[in-house]
Amino acid sequence: MKKFFALALALVMALSLAACGEDAGTSSGSAAAGGDAQTLKIGVFEPASGDNGAGGKQEVLGIEYANSVCPTVEVGGVTYNIELKEVDNQSSTDKAVSAAQELVSAGVSVVLGTYGSGCAIAAAPIFEQAQIPAIGCSCTNPAVTESNPYYFRVCYLDPFQGPVMANFAKDQFSAKKAYVLTMLGEDYGSNLGTYFSQEFEKLGGEIKSESFTEGTSDFSAYIQNAVSWGADVIFAPSATTYASLIIGQAAKSGCTIPLLAGDTWESSVILDAQKGTDQQVFCSTFFDENDESGAAASFVKGFKEYLNADSQRLTNNGGNDIVAAVSALGYDAYMTAIEGLKLSASTSGEDIQAALFNVDFDAVTGHITIDAATGDANKTMAYIKQATDGTFTFIKTQSVSE
Amino acid sequence: MKKNNKTKIVSAVLIVALLAVLLLLDNTKGVPSMLLTVLRKGAIYALVAVSMNLLNGFTGLFSLGQAGFMLLGAYTYAALTIPVESQTSIYQQYPGGGVGFSITEGLTNAMGGFGLLLGVVICLILAGIVAALLAYVIGLPVLRLKSDYLAIATLGFAEILRAVVQYAKLGPVTNGSNLLYGFTSFDDFKIGSLKLSTVMPFVFSGLCIAVVVLLINSTYGRAFKAIRDDEVAAEAMGINLAKHKRMSFVISSFFAGISGALLAMYQASVQAVTFKAAMTYEILLIVVIGGIGSISGSVIASFLFVGCSEWWLRFLDNEKTLKNFNAKLIFAIIFGLIVAGIAVAIFFKQKKNGKLGANVPCIGTAIVALAAIGWDIWFVISPNLKLPLLRSGFRMVVFSVIIMVVVLFFRKGLLGDQELPDVLHRFGAWLQSRFGKSAKGGDAK
Repeated sequence: MKKFFALALALVMALSLAACGEDAGTSSGSAAAGGDAQTLKIGVFEPASGDNGAGGKQEVLGIEYANSVCPTVEVGGVTYNIELKEVDNQSSTDKAVSAAQELVSAGVSVVLGTYGSGCAIAAAPIFEQAQIPAIGCSCTNPAVTESNPYYFRVCYLDPFQGPVMANFAKDQFSAKKAYVLTMLGEDYGSNLGTYFSQEFEKLGGEIKSESFTEGTSDFSAYIQNAVSWGADVIFAPSATTYASLIIGQAAKSGCTIPLLAGDTWESSVILDAQKGTDQQVFCSTFFDENDESGAAASFVKGFKEYLNADSQRLTNNGGNDIVAAVSALGYDAYMTAIEGLKLSASTSGEDIQAALFNVDFDAVTGHITIDAATGDANKTMAYIKQATDGTFTFIKTQSVSE
Repeated sequence: MKKNNKTKIVSAVLIVALLAVLLLLDNTKGVPSMLLTVLRKGAIYALVAVSMNLLNGFTGLFSLGQAGFMLLGAYTYAALTIPVESQTSIYQQYPGGGVGFSITEGLTNAMGGFGLLLGVVICLILAGIVAALLAYVIGLPVLRLKSDYLAIATLGFAEILRAVVQYAKLGPVTNGSNLLYGFTSFDDFKIGSLKLSTVMPFVFSGLCIAVVVLLINSTYGRAFKAIRDDEVAAEAMGINLAKHKRMSFVISSFFAGISGALLAMYQASVQAVTFKAAMTYEILLIVVIGGIGSISGSVIASFLFVGCSEWWLRFLDNEKTLKNFNAKLIFAIIFGLIVAGIAVAIFFKQKKNGKLGANVPCIGTAIVALAAIGWDIWFVISPNLKLPLLRSGFRMVVFSVIIMVVVLFFRKGLLGDQELPDVLHRFGAWLQSRFGKSAKGGDAK
């Protein structure tokens, strides 16, 4: 009986799969017969689960909004409808490979993503081999685009972001001693920590760095170390789950040292953690949502309306309509792809790749041109924001002192 | 003797045919690349699952350290094969990092294609040896433990290994928390313009599994099984418990190390965070689903598992809106037929067992079936064209449910502790008794 039941269940699975397959077949058939507008697929390679699931969803929202703003593109005189094809890379380098393969076999023309540099590095050879240009949204590790002519990027890099925060610590707080706290085994945090330390020492400061292991929930010992060492600032680039614990426990232990971090901290999780405390929390980010000039203002307005139109979108954005920088980067990555497609002679991967190097337009996160050697957007400025009572306040734009 | 020869010829022909098909798949345009991905990863997981089965299924040592040994293998392989000129850019966090030579690159320059193969084989074996050496050292204290205690000790050991690899002082070799990439991968295997990216994982993994099979059928294998069945009796028969347990542990780790290196080749990048306990659990699941103590079960289960988790269920992650009413009608009719079919089949089975009536299974089936058909009709009437539930993340829910169902209803796994040829033989005999003779003889189960 039991075996039979299980067999029956297996049968359901098989049949429903068959049904869906059939359905897909009929639908594509009717589409080909029905309209003259052709479809061009853009792959969205983002995590929806795992450590970076929350950030990945926000980035996808930005891409989907961009798609609703700009649903068609003209390539070589033919108008194409753009269809987004989303896959979940589960924030894991071993799952990322097959997720990328899925996009390749779906026949996408351009790939956008991903949040988390590790997955981007793991998937990069697959896109390169299939000659599909990929545009990174918020992967800040230099290795993503290095020696891969098919990987582009719209955000700034860790070797830029780290020194920016070091300069900020020096300029804003005249800091002499910085305590660096990173997670062991997290490439993003430890790299950023290294770049920060190198620059800070070059500026004549002193560094003490420590790392915690995955799953740590008690940070009071680390905070105590920073206090007793006499640190002027704490630089703690880490995933938001740990960040909220660090902020909360620093506030509880009465530590008044300013907390600094990278782009991941620009998140509503940080705002919630900081709310109701006197903790000074600063992070670097990719754009200023209150900037009235240029593309940013209209993006912020449109994106908020887009979020509020659907409760599911609000949930994916973390339950509120605060515009995350990664959403803006997702939007910019999509628009970069559109600009590249417009300049491209055909929809073949090689043509799009060649065209992407010539992209030149005003995006939400600043003017975008592509560096011919690496494929990175040329960015020279970061925005520093402070979390105060439930909102991010713009402090200053910061660049690296030469 | 004659029959034995026949089997040998048949299996040789089968192997050659399989490799030929794989070669063809590799080099034909239009083959879904997902199929190739699943085949490659499935072959690699098959080897890990078999290595775990050797320990858990054949020697009765419940160990959860597999991911740790894979990690060692993967890092050994990666560090030894990264091309010299890209070492500076990969180890940019650790200036002067990297081993300063690359075995595969050196041998390829010296001997061409054969050198590449030789280099990879050498590095794979080294990967296995490193894992085996550590297993030997760990085994000295840990193998005194039994069952749960051994599982916890090995699991803890795997976690420690992961932390050690990420340790900044080892950065010049392991690159700390950062990825290692750019080393020799399956895509580097070519004969002329023929790609061998799917053939090679099967060759490597197949050879290793063959060695395990030979081992299990040898005197040592019989000793392992004796230990599994009853330690006291085995010792009384003169089997050296400590020696054989250690041997099984070391050999299992050796192959886990090799499969870790193969996984690195498949992924084209290595990072310690992927080798978490979750990976061990995936492998344990494959072993359990395939049948504890069945090599062919593990192999089949690993392909099914990888196929399910990576490919067949992906459509569940995407929202789907049906094109028009007709498509919806077709979907609804198929869905309704499936539900009705299952319900009827369950009732039929109950009736055959003489249990049809007002009991829990019957009423439950009726309620679920009616609800499903009711929803189906409502879905047709409603103007909604979007299929419900399908959204990002739903795939993992369905996948977990399937695994639960399999584990609940096939407690012994797909093949139990038997091997595929035996099962096929018995199935053939059963078919013959059922359809060759009268229907009467077949009912006896």
